[in-house]
Amino acid sequence: MNKELEHSFVELLEKHQNIVHKVCRLYTNNQDAHNDLFQEITIQLWKAYPKFRGDAKFSTWMYRVGLNTAITLYRKSKRRISTQDYDGVQFKIKAEEYDDTEEQQLKLLYKAVHQLNDIEKALVFLYLEDKNYKEISETLGISEVNARVKMNRVKTKLKTILNP
Amino acid sequence: MDELELLKKDWQKQSDSFAKKSSTDIYNMLHKKSSSIVKMLFYISIAELIFWIAINSIPLFSSQEYSDKMNSIYENAYILTWLTFLTFAVIILFVYLLFKSYKSISVTDNAKRLMESILKTRKIVKYYVAYNLILAFLSMGIGLFYASKNDPNIATKLEGIEDTQMLIYALIAFAITSAFVAVIWLFYKLLYGILTKRLNRNYNELKKLEV
Repeated sequence: MNKELEHSFVELLEKHQNIVHKVCRLYTNNQDAHNDLFQEITIQLWKAYPKFRGDAKFSTWMYRVGLNTAITLYRKSKRRISTQDYDGVQFKIKAEEYDDTEEQQLKLLYKAVHQLNDIEKALVFLYLEDKNYKEISETLGISEVNARVKMNRVKTKLKTILNP
Repeated sequence: MDELELLKKDWQKQSDSFAKKSSTDIYNMLHKKSSSIVKMLFYISIAELIFWIAINSIPLFSSQEYSDKMNSIYENAYILTWLTFLTFAVIILFVYLLFKSYKSISVTDNAKRLMESILKTRKIVKYYVAYNLILAFLSMGIGLFYASKNDPNIATKLEGIEDTQMLIYALIAFAITSAFVAVIWLFYKLLYGILTKRLNRNYNELKKLEV
């Protein structure tokens, strides 16, 4: 692969890297695992990049490759040393926004989301990223109606986890 | 407020909390090796092909004396040649199917289709292994049958043995062959079971949504 292609890819990924970080945040529990998954997604994006056509948005394309890697391709690495869990470091709410009950609720919400299965996480992720049901259904390969139905079930499931 | 809306508000704010990767970090990552399940499956299928090709090639490299003996046991000199020819034709067919199947795995497909193409590839490898095991089972059986009839050493030993005893020998031979095949099959089941556990679970979850 030529240098020009590599350069344009790195530039694009650097700009949109938050998407990859967010996928990693959802599918991993600590920083080492996060970095591991980040790397695998980067490799998969790079491998698929020559086939990337400009007609799709790079970010849209990243959602698909990122989620596919997290759900299907990624094998949890064994060399991972478990370090600090996210739970303790997750919330960096600014001082002026500090709200004890809201913070507590968010903490529980993130915990609840982590308890969902891989597919449910993918739905929640795309929902949190403001994707419409058409995009969600296209990314996962299910019908739009089923994406809606499943999303409602996930909402109920989250409520149950939060208020057992 | 809806729980998810609260989460969404926070989620969209968290962009600043990530340790940003520099372009140098990203450059370095591009040259690292992938550890994806597809790569693992690829290595395993290559190992399997080599293993079974090696097993199948043994007759080709055996000494003239050995092949003469084999031919005399099998009564017909052409049987082994044809079997070898058939075996390699099947290997070529599997290599072709496997290659085609690997090519069709694309990370840019939707999640369900990606899982399907990986599972399809795995299935091809599974059929290849099953084919080899059935063949191994049959050839062991046929080999033992011909050997008992035509191998002078074995034939003399078996002379004068009663039918019931003969049946017991045959059953023992059958049991040993079955056990051998079963152990290899279990090994594969375990290997692929571990490797594709998560993939199967997620695929079933997606399929469940479509019912």
